[in-house]
Amino acid sequence: MKRLFYIILLVVISSLRVEAQNPGWIVPDDQKAKICLVKFTPDMLKQGEALYMKNCQSCHGIPTKKNFAAISPTPGDLSEPKVGTQKDGELFFRITTGKAPMPEFRNILTEDERWSVISFLRSFHKGYFQPDPEKMAGSIGKRIKLAMTYDTVKKKIMIKAIELTKEGPQPAKGAEIIVFVQRYFGNMQLTDTKRTSENGFAGFDWPQDLPGDKNGNVILGARVNDPAGKMQEAVVKDTLAIGVPTNKPALTDTRAMWSTRDKAPVWMILTYTLAVIVVWYFIIFIILSVLDMRKIKQA
Amino acid sequence: MEKIISDLSHHIRLNKGFFLWMGFLVLAFIACLYAYTRQLRYGLGVAGIRDYISWGLYISNFVFFVASSLIGMLISAVLGLIGMKWVHPITRIAETIAVAFAAVAGLVIVMDMGRPERLAYVFIYARFQSPILWDVTVITTYFVISLLLLLLPLIPDMAVLYKRFANLPGWLKPVYKALSLNWTDHPEQNRIIHRSIYILLILIIPAALSIHTVTSWLFALTVRPGWDSTIFGPYFVSGAFVAGSAAVIIAMYFFRKNYKLQDYLTDLHFNNMGKVLVLVAFVYLYFNINEYLVPGYKLKRADAIHLGELMSGHFAVTFWLVQVGGLLIPIILMLFRRMRRPLPLTIISIAVVLGAWFKRYLIVVPTMAHPYLPIQHVPDNFKVYSPTLIEIAITLLSFTLVLIIITLISKFFPVIPIVETAKDKGLDPLKSIES
Repeated sequence: MKRLFYIILLVVISSLRVEAQNPGWIVPDDQKAKICLVKFTPDMLKQGEALYMKNCQSCHGIPTKKNFAAISPTPGDLSEPKVGTQKDGELFFRITTGKAPMPEFRNILTEDERWSVISFLRSFHKGYFQPDPEKMAGSIGKRIKLAMTYDTVKKKIMIKAIELTKEGPQPAKGAEIIVFVQRYFGNMQLTDTKRTSENGFAGFDWPQDLPGDKNGNVILGARVNDPAGKMQEAVVKDTLAIGVPTNKPALTDTRAMWSTRDKAPVWMILTYTLAVIVVWYFIIFIILSVLDMRKIKQA
Repeated sequence: MEKIISDLSHHIRLNKGFFLWMGFLVLAFIACLYAYTRQLRYGLGVAGIRDYISWGLYISNFVFFVASSLIGMLISAVLGLIGMKWVHPITRIAETIAVAFAAVAGLVIVMDMGRPERLAYVFIYARFQSPILWDVTVITTYFVISLLLLLLPLIPDMAVLYKRFANLPGWLKPVYKALSLNWTDHPEQNRIIHRSIYILLILIIPAALSIHTVTSWLFALTVRPGWDSTIFGPYFVSGAFVAGSAAVIIAMYFFRKNYKLQDYLTDLHFNNMGKVLVLVAFVYLYFNINEYLVPGYKLKRADAIHLGELMSGHFAVTFWLVQVGGLLIPIILMLFRRMRRPLPLTIISIAVVLGAWFKRYLIVVPTMAHPYLPIQHVPDNFKVYSPTLIEIAITLLSFTLVLIIITLISKFFPVIPIVETAKDKGLDPLKSIES
């Protein structure tokens, strides 16, 4: 009885959370209208397939094979017409925002990467024609380009934002910039967001103790914060040798309990082998000597 | 002397009772084998085990089998080496039980494998760090030592029966002759066999302790509530002695009745086995108190959920039946001499064995039902484990196999060592063989 109560409570709470985040997974109209600004290419499709296999396949399975995970709510096969009839903008929104238990990919995949996943999915949807990016270009809003440099004197990461207008490139003023460091999974935001100055610059203090790889390399990224999706995504990524060089061997590099057989602790190999040899030496000795008894005749 | 031989070997013949019993076992075996072929064809999905509770009846049963097989070591080695003469008639029964359970325990693991044809991978890709490898190693070793401890003391008996037992069925004669290894009671032969048995009796003690300690480590080397315990090794070993002693008592009663061995398996043997059972049950009770009181006093979050499920939740009925009906009441009853007579002691032992089996279930399943990460977004049958009919049939398959092995060994070989019994009575059967 108690157990049932807890299960019900859990279900209620989890559904409430989902409701609050994402009522019914309804895609706003302006998001529905969103389209990819480039023509899908075979390269994109290939990249999309790789990303799909890494991020989506564990639940959704391989498209058309219907081998999606047996969980509830069911993830479904994404090659189905139910998915195929949705607009590009809807798919994009769903991938971006997720809906528990599906994670949101906002901070995991870039916009380009999300589009390439969609281009991969579209290859399974019969009768799909990609909306012409040329015709839509006008309605997409601002286009901003970012550039990133490291100021060794001030120890600051400098981001320059340039708006591409019809009159040519101009410094973008007041754009909200997020700087992040790439980790194994997802990104870590570096300090608060900052807005670009009059001449399009925003400077971020670089903490001197942040670890990099063994050469001190850190992968940094910056993007314009645009939750409403009013402009084309603007991101820049770069590898800079500004972290503290850290040479941490992977935990599986040394001999350890959790490593593979070839990296078993020496004492463990010795103990096991020795015990087996000693015990089986006696067993074999006994078997042989007992079998030998057959030759002994009564004197 | 003739009386001893005929008393201890008159059951070695094919009679109607044997065919009926064996026929029943074989029919049950075939029926259950059909269930296993279903599992082979359709996969482990035909059993009730799922992603979260992936160890169910099979693994509980495996632990029970390993436990029951441990008794061979306690009776033959520990009590034997101390010099307890009264255990002599029981040693072969204990070793038979040890061999049967140890042999089938390995098969039970195979029954829990979705792809049994990949069994060899356990060795090919073995990691020295993996308790699975240790387990496979010690079970194999223990089985071989137990088998030798069953066969070596049989050698003189085989020789005596081959030469002096007129009613030995003809088809058994070559088997007896082969197993007797030309035994002539030569002093050199005696020296070899005594030395061999002595070494084996010493070897089997660490082997038996390892087999069940390692089995307990399959659980205790995780951090899961209910398993994360430093006393799991001795806890399992003491529990094994309880299950095994009770199994031996039941077998003793059966052989005494059916093979008419009242003169050899006397009330004294039952009384003493009752005392052994009470002793090991007390040790086990002590470990039980440790195992539940210590985490129960601290009530760490995960332990609290686990203990709550056991004592007042989903598993409460089974838990209290096992603890009270399978351990506490038997202990109290067996403190009285009258309760250690053959029939009452056998009935108590049946309760103990049942309790021991369900105890293994309570060790395996409730912990699996409560992983640290919540179970969510899965179908209902992933959350609560209930064994399917096929799963139960496959479990019964292993039991029929054990019974078949015990029946065959005890039917075609003397249950009680003949030469040893004769020597204990001051007779020397082998002197007269050659004369």
